[in-house]
Amino acid sequence: MGSFFNTYGFLLTSMVLAASLALSLYLPLMAGQLSLASPGFYALGGYIAAVLSTRYPAAGNTLFPLWRLLAEMLLAGLASGVLAVLVGVPALRLRGIYLALATIAFVEILRVLSLNLAITGGAVGIFGIPQPFSTQIGYLWIAGPLLLLSMLFTYRLERIRVGRAFVALREDELAADSMGISPTCYKVLAFTLGAVLAGVVGAISAHFLNTWNARQGTFDASISYLAFVLIGGSRTFVGPVVGGLVLTALPELLRALTGVSGLPPWLGQFLRDGRLIIYGALIAIGAVFFPQGLITPDLLSRWRKLQP
Amino acid sequence: MRTFVARTVPLFLLLSLLASCGAPTAATPTTAPAAPTNAAAPSPAAPEPTTATNASGAAPATGDPIPIGIAVAQTSNVALFGQEQVAGAQVAEAYFNQNGGVNGRPIKVVLQDTGGDEAGTINAFNALINNDKVVAIVGPTLSQQAFAADPIADKAGVPIIGPSNTAKGIPEIGDYIARISAPVTAVAPNAVKAALEINPNIKKVMVLFAQNDAFSKSETVVFQHTVTDTFKLDLIGVQTFQTTDTDFTTQATNVLNAAPDLVIISGLAADSGNLVKQLRDLGYTGLIVGGNGLNTPNLFPVCKAQCDGIIVAQAYSYQADTPINQDFRAAFKAKQNKEPGQFSAQAFTAVQVLVEALTALDKTKKLADMDLAALRTALNKQILSGTYITPLGNISFTPPGDINQQQFYVARVKMSADGSSGAFEFIK
Amino acid sequence: MNLFLQQILNGLAIGSLYAIFALGYTLVFSILRVINFTHGALFALGAYATYLLTGSAVNPSGVLASLFSAFFGKPALPLALPFLVSLVLGACVAGLAGMLVERIAFKPLRDRGADPLLALVSSLGVSIVLVNLMQYLVGTEIYPFPDTVLGNLPRAINFGVPGKPVPVRTVQIVMFVVSMILVVLLTYFINATKTGKALRAVAEDTTTAYLLGINTDRLILLTFFLSGFLGGVAGTLVGLSVGINGPYFGIAYGLKGLAVIVLGGLGDIPGAVVGGFALGLAEAFVPAHYVAYKDAVAFALLFIVLLTRPQGLLGRAAVQKV
Repeated sequence: MGSFFNTYGFLLTSMVLAASLALSLYLPLMAGQLSLASPGFYALGGYIAAVLSTRYPAAGNTLFPLWRLLAEMLLAGLASGVLAVLVGVPALRLRGIYLALATIAFVEILRVLSLNLAITGGAVGIFGIPQPFSTQIGYLWIAGPLLLLSMLFTYRLERIRVGRAFVALREDELAADSMGISPTCYKVLAFTLGAVLAGVVGAISAHFLNTWNARQGTFDASISYLAFVLIGGSRTFVGPVVGGLVLTALPELLRALTGVSGLPPWLGQFLRDGRLIIYGALIAIGAVFFPQGLITPDLLSRWRKLQP
Repeated sequence: MRTFVARTVPLFLLLSLLASCGAPTAATPTTAPAAPTNAAAPSPAAPEPTTATNASGAAPATGDPIPIGIAVAQTSNVALFGQEQVAGAQVAEAYFNQNGGVNGRPIKVVLQDTGGDEAGTINAFNALINNDKVVAIVGPTLSQQAFAADPIADKAGVPIIGPSNTAKGIPEIGDYIARISAPVTAVAPNAVKAALEINPNIKKVMVLFAQNDAFSKSETVVFQHTVTDTFKLDLIGVQTFQTTDTDFTTQATNVLNAAPDLVIISGLAADSGNLVKQLRDLGYTGLIVGGNGLNTPNLFPVCKAQCDGIIVAQAYSYQADTPINQDFRAAFKAKQNKEPGQFSAQAFTAVQVLVEALTALDKTKKLADMDLAALRTALNKQILSGTYITPLGNISFTPPGDINQQQFYVARVKMSADGSSGAFEFIK
Repeated sequence: MNLFLQQILNGLAIGSLYAIFALGYTLVFSILRVINFTHGALFALGAYATYLLTGSAVNPSGVLASLFSAFFGKPALPLALPFLVSLVLGACVAGLAGMLVERIAFKPLRDRGADPLLALVSSLGVSIVLVNLMQYLVGTEIYPFPDTVLGNLPRAINFGVPGKPVPVRTVQIVMFVVSMILVVLLTYFINATKTGKALRAVAEDTTTAYLLGINTDRLILLTFFLSGFLGGVAGTLVGLSVGINGPYFGIAYGLKGLAVIVLGGLGDIPGAVVGGFALGLAEAFVPAHYVAYKDAVAFALLFIVLLTRPQGLLGRAAVQKV
């Protein structure tokens, strides 16, 4: 079992972090807003943690103090939240694919900036980020509770007034508006909640990856997170979480599969060379055969009925 | 709804099955049937151990192979380099096993794809360290990936040889991290000196560099210092481009308007080649000095006849006439049908360093008698203390693990008239 | 003045390329209201197909080299078509692949009435497959077209007066001319032929067009063919200019293409052309000192245009459908 955690500690934590990022995309989607801005806030949060922890290193040769990690997460969340309000107020007047494209533009502009600024370390980025835990699995102590809290938060959100306002906006914005739900206010709120979560995850990830650079928040990431949400299912918060977990594990499962003994050599060879071909095919198949996503509210209520 | 469940449940079963298969199966087709920890199967060691580099008269190695990890980018847009590194490592595997391996025991190169990102690199390292139980790892391709994954290998006590990680601070990551890619400060100034010898009237110099490439960024600083401080030339402009750029007309137009006597380019092969091509197409006739990224035959097909005359300072030259390089070059050409570039040579050299260090170690204490952790630690010590005669020349390591390289070359590109073939010609 | 003229010419050349690439995107968007993520992959596919059809050799790092060697005795197809013929056929290969993409990634979703967003994900999956398949087949090396494909044309043509040269690379002129021919042909096809009119009707309102007896399914296939064809031509032209830089080289264009179609107004066909030129010229005029921010220009423009004129540079404000 120790060997399992040594090998897959990193992967397990990445899966949990990916699930949180998927939730950060799901939050604006709850209010019907297709925002792909999460990688931008993720990158911002990471830079905040990376700069703070490398410029002001902890005294001694010990582990990075946990309270400082938590402080960085707080700060990253705050900064992302403020930026989200600034960007969100003008951008959220846009709908559907237009909003998606505007948020992609936002991510790309941030990426080019971080490639050029001195404080972000340019192309090399920032490295030697101190470690608050002695093992990679240790990060689960932070990432796990964060995911659980976010899930709990989203679960509660779906049941209180604010969350119902989100859903009303998603289903029919005009009707919601005439019912006295301010579209702008709730849209910006949903967008900001997602941004804060992405920023916090970024702060953890900077420590977790040991290094941070302009390749972290990109267009590719935007689309992967969208895949997490849509493959997992965009109608309940369980969907994005499952999507993030499964799609992050998938390439590594395929890697492990190439090592399974007893495979015919040609199959092993194909699995090795064609790992990403299979990965892409599974994403396409997932989208086509599960148009509602893997997890649907229907499915959840059936499960609930099965409980005694 | 029933069909939905019917579809979903098998999928999850399959996934969880995969998860359970992945971890514990150390004995896989890709790896050694028995890792070095497993001394149960005695290796039929040759009675008189032969050294690996002794090409003449060594019997091919037999027995349980020693797994050496290669973690480079085989997918993503970094794969252009990773592919060359894989080719170099595979040539090394065949070559050293043909020549006796590690005192008669063969090595086995275990490939794990890092992709182009940091997380993929960490996953690949973890798989090599824990599942494939390699004695050491050659990789990763990019410095950024090294900053992410090397600390993990260092903590696990696995020796790393970075084949192409040139950024400042890589060997300092930890005791187990070494690299065989030369620091730029040593190489770059030679090329400017050579250009001044060709044309002593050079006054105005323009510098261009790929701004999103870590290596080019540090290299251009060295070039700019050389121009202004060492040779007191007039640096009339610095321009940037991206390694992903394809259109350089803006930069080329600016160069033509400034009319420099010398242009210095730091970038990678594809972008720099196109930059040179577009400069020449538009009528620039002065000298061009290229950084280390242009030191690859991959450059020739990009700018073809217009590559002619580029002056390049080299950390590796495929024309170096040492026996080991000639062997490498011949083996590489036989397999890949082209001249080896620097990335392939570095991957070969990294494997060679490991083979020779293992061989030396085996002579003092049988590898099969050591458990894996002890073997990795001893191997790391051995790597840093040895000297090696490699395709890169005679090399050794500084105490932190940076390379000490003796030979550097300056070459000038010579293309055939139709641009279909080319070569680097030594000028010193 | 010379610099100004030079940059205009540079901007027009690269802009014409952005235009035909973006036309491919926008055609699909105008009909289906979805973005086809495989467009960047089809761009690379078209370039590789043209390369192979000219009879050029592939490197041994892909499996295609050994396949060709086994069947034809050399690592190349046993033919050597003229460049222009290869260009058209290579683009047709990309077009056919586009039709296949529609059948695999788009039609099943339409038939199930799924969220159109999902097409982003299914086409992303197919795009990953295509790019990695290409890498499997031909490796990641740079494949430059032989210099001979353009015959004996000079490398650059001077647009200035003697003594004050304004040189433009011949390849860029070829790029511009081929792109413009395609734009003219496409405009004629859409405005003057029966099929073109049907296409516009489907773009206007798919359901009504269907009720009027237009075979929408066949037209959607045709759209994907045209889109892939345009992407394939764009890929070949870029490959001609700078070499085919690995299977991923279309992805960066894919992202810029998005910026272009937004500038022009999503689904607006003349707009895509205008957007292409606007972006090409804007990039050409980025001051030398800020060239590092060139990539940001496209997206800053996109952001501003979206916020101020979401209907695109040309478009009329659309009535908000609720």
